[in-house]
Amino acid sequence: MRRYWAGLAVVATMVAGGCGLGAEEPEAAAPSANASGEVKGKVSLQTWALKPKFTDYMQGVIDAFEKKHPGVEVEWLDQPGDGYSEKVLSQAAGGTLPDVTNLPPDFALPLVKQGLLLDVSQTDQKLADEYVAGGIDAYRFAGFQGVYGYPWYLNTDVNYWNSELMTKYGLDPKKPPTTFDELVAQARILKEKSGGKVYLMSRRPELGDLFKEGVKLMADDGKSFTFNTPEAAALLDKYRDAFKEGLLPRDVLTDTYAGNAKLFNEGTVAWTTAGANHITSLATDNPTLAPKVVPSTAMGTPPLYVQGLSVSKKTQNAPAAIALARWVTSPENQAAFAHLVSIFPSTKASANDPFFSKSDGTNASEAKVIAFASLAQAKMLQPVEVTDAMSKFIRQQFALAISGEITSKEALDAAVAKCDELLQN
Amino acid sequence: MAAHAKSARHSGFNTITTGEKVLRYTLLLVVLAITVSPFLWQLSTSLKSLDEDIYAQTPTFLPEHPTLDNYVKVAETIPVWSYAANSLVVAVIVVAGNAVGATIAGYALAKLRFRGAKLLMGLFLATLVLPGEVTIISQYVTVRGLGLADTLVGVALPGAIGMLNVLLMRTAFQAIPPEMDEAAIIDGATAWQRLRHIGLPNVRGMLSVITIFAFIGAWDDFLWPLIVLTNPENYTLTVGLQYLNGTFSANPRLIAAGTMISFLPIVIVFAALQRFFFRGVEEGAIKG
Amino acid sequence: MTHRRWFTPWLLVAPAAVWLFVFNIWPSINTVVLAFTNAKPLGGGRFTGLANFTRVLNDDQLADALLNSIVFMVVCLPLLTMLPLLIAVLVEKKLPGIMFFRTAFYTPVVASAVVVALIWGWMLNDRGLVNGFAQWLGVIAAPIPFLTDRWLLLFSAISLTVWKGLGYYMIIYLSALGNVRRELHEAAAVDGAGPVRRFWSVTVPGVRNTMLLVSVLVSVSALRVFSELYVLSNGTGGPGGRDMSVVMLIQMYSRGFTGHLGYASALSIVLLVVTIGPMLLLLRLNRKAA
Repeated sequence: MRRYWAGLAVVATMVAGGCGLGAEEPEAAAPSANASGEVKGKVSLQTWALKPKFTDYMQGVIDAFEKKHPGVEVEWLDQPGDGYSEKVLSQAAGGTLPDVTNLPPDFALPLVKQGLLLDVSQTDQKLADEYVAGGIDAYRFAGFQGVYGYPWYLNTDVNYWNSELMTKYGLDPKKPPTTFDELVAQARILKEKSGGKVYLMSRRPELGDLFKEGVKLMADDGKSFTFNTPEAAALLDKYRDAFKEGLLPRDVLTDTYAGNAKLFNEGTVAWTTAGANHITSLATDNPTLAPKVVPSTAMGTPPLYVQGLSVSKKTQNAPAAIALARWVTSPENQAAFAHLVSIFPSTKASANDPFFSKSDGTNASEAKVIAFASLAQAKMLQPVEVTDAMSKFIRQQFALAISGEITSKEALDAAVAKCDELLQN
Repeated sequence: MAAHAKSARHSGFNTITTGEKVLRYTLLLVVLAITVSPFLWQLSTSLKSLDEDIYAQTPTFLPEHPTLDNYVKVAETIPVWSYAANSLVVAVIVVAGNAVGATIAGYALAKLRFRGAKLLMGLFLATLVLPGEVTIISQYVTVRGLGLADTLVGVALPGAIGMLNVLLMRTAFQAIPPEMDEAAIIDGATAWQRLRHIGLPNVRGMLSVITIFAFIGAWDDFLWPLIVLTNPENYTLTVGLQYLNGTFSANPRLIAAGTMISFLPIVIVFAALQRFFFRGVEEGAIKG
Repeated sequence: MTHRRWFTPWLLVAPAAVWLFVFNIWPSINTVVLAFTNAKPLGGGRFTGLANFTRVLNDDQLADALLNSIVFMVVCLPLLTMLPLLIAVLVEKKLPGIMFFRTAFYTPVVASAVVVALIWGWMLNDRGLVNGFAQWLGVIAAPIPFLTDRWLLLFSAISLTVWKGLGYYMIIYLSALGNVRRELHEAAAVDGAGPVRRFWSVTVPGVRNTMLLVSVLVSVSALRVFSELYVLSNGTGGPGGRDMSVVMLIQMYSRGFTGHLGYASALSIVLLVVTIGPMLLLLRLNRKAA
């Protein structure tokens, strides 16, 4: 391992310009990382819940890679959706992390802290030229030099409106609210017209909503939280008043982030936010609802969801691992993936692909176009430093504030204090 | 020695008046209504066609166009049979381990006196209250250290002797009147002989209970096999069924069908073993 | 009493004892060690002395969680010790179709958490079956917040626990009922005792040991309740997290990659101490009764 690092350093100084990576040559020749530098031998790749729907696609990508580099053998593992964090955790603890692993940034950070992932900016001078800035920034962490993953596919949230309910209860689905205050006003109309049977709003505010209001969540050094500001309290107060007025169902007190999507599927609420592929999955769950859904642009800063491929620092086959990670995240392979499901490539070369900006008129396709347009402004709304325990505690405090049990300021102060305490430990 | 007493089927105790029958069935139906709804919803979801909604404010229990397609699709999507075979291997190891290990330990704790028995008993009881929430990773490291990571034996190992089952068996053996043992000791029977001829015949009911617990525990476990297993060929049914719940593709009908498939063996095991609870009743109980 | 071979008992308990140490005691020792560090799931962690414990004692949520767990135990103990016994007596008798009923009563035990959450959500939420029915009858004007009120949520979770526990403890009782001697029942019947009298004077004494075991199991699992509360509150722990049990609190801190393992371990030790109390009490009461 040590030797390998030394090799990397040498190469980094030698490869001044990296190597030309045209769109036709999507995989890196750059990682002539160690002495041999040849792309061959065994390399393992772990993805997250892509089987069985994308088995053919992934297998195609892998076969093409093996064909391109004779002598390479890719072992592909796909882990089920549930329990993935525990699975990766046990792999990391047991020293059995695959060479290339699909990790969202918040999974990558704890592994970076333990020095288990490779800084790919060391080997790839071209990263910033090929991948969109938001994708790369997602794999930079406060207090650590470098980039710890190749951005893979991106997504963001879109508003979805139930046009049937809106029309029925005096709203115009063609003019959905675009600000929080408009949202409250329309929610009031819907509630009055439906006699409280149907709601428009059903989301509890999260940290991301504070971020959208311009609240600074964390200090720049990533060592303390700063979201207990008057602006944050004002937003919570607005939610509290709306809740008191009965504009939100009581479920919001104990709902998870996905709770409003569930209520939307049931036809209890007329608005939800979800990824670009939501209508497609709705067509599976509730086929009668799917055609009645109208998408629109998310309010405020759209959230950015990033998936990426990280390379294990302990890999025995760095050249092949890096080449494979670049290959899977290449513009062509990402574009092919995006044609199968509404996600968006993280490569700059894909930005001009007309496929993403052209709608065929269906609402699912509209949602895709809206989401693609939003990506340019999308940001990661929550710092990666926020652990599961922190987000749970924050949600609980926000729920207390909305139900009126404690003031918004008390809730925010308690949440910041707890998060700081957990961060230091 | 267990004596097979006369069959009591014709004794007055077993005849039921019509009134009592009606009352019993009424009660049975009441409890049935309370217990069986989730099962019914799963069943109905698994039979729903693609044009029917799954989530609604009030669940619909009757599919409009019942279809078995979902079951066919599950079998096409994942290798159900080989996953089920893996689950079965794990379950058999766990059941065998518990049937033997928990039984002999339970017998020793209930019927034999030896130094340290009390302490050991205390430790077994303590495991009931020990925190299991934070130990799963250290369990994995242990199993990996034994070289059993990514094997079905590794999945089965920690549960192969359940501490709760030891306690259940001990309780069952304690119910055997001491005078039977004493008679056997006077006859010069060894501990093993007493276990075989007096102990076992009288704890069949509890033995089938722990068999059921062990089987279901092994069959339904998800997180542990997920952590131990890497190679999809070794996946157990619960882990394999998760493939129906993909990142961009989750069809609740298929998930429900998969759940029903994994539920069947449990029903079969339960139905097969429940007769044994009544052995004592059917054949006459212990002769005091 | 002497054995011809003194080591026989040891031979019999050896396998179980090995499992006890390797898979239970050893990891627990690790837990105790972790409680004095600020360990993360991926190693690391310095010795921090009693810091975790002082934080535990200042944790407002722990007081709530302990209260919830104790309420759970107090309510579940009588219900889950008696109801499954009654159901066991009910299905013990051979009637046509009884096998179907026995199996059906056991299904909640193996129902998956997701489905249970769905079904109970439908029954209990503001637009659910129970509220809908009560409003239709005109008993209530506004829906009852079964799932969003601190105490109602706790009691909803208790009903769910009882519902899931019926079948589980039923089969433990069933195996014990087989050993209740028929002659005693017959003798009591001849003396003119009705079914209720027979239940109290024959059945209950006959399964006393099993009742004790069940009551220990019920109280331990009630103190360690997790999934029912988790499922009904969507993992949030109720409004403001006031409905968390101690195990939910432990899970909140130990989960996933970013778990605060040291703190979670300290909470586990607190739970351990709290659980041992009622267990010893039950065993003592039993000894007195004997």
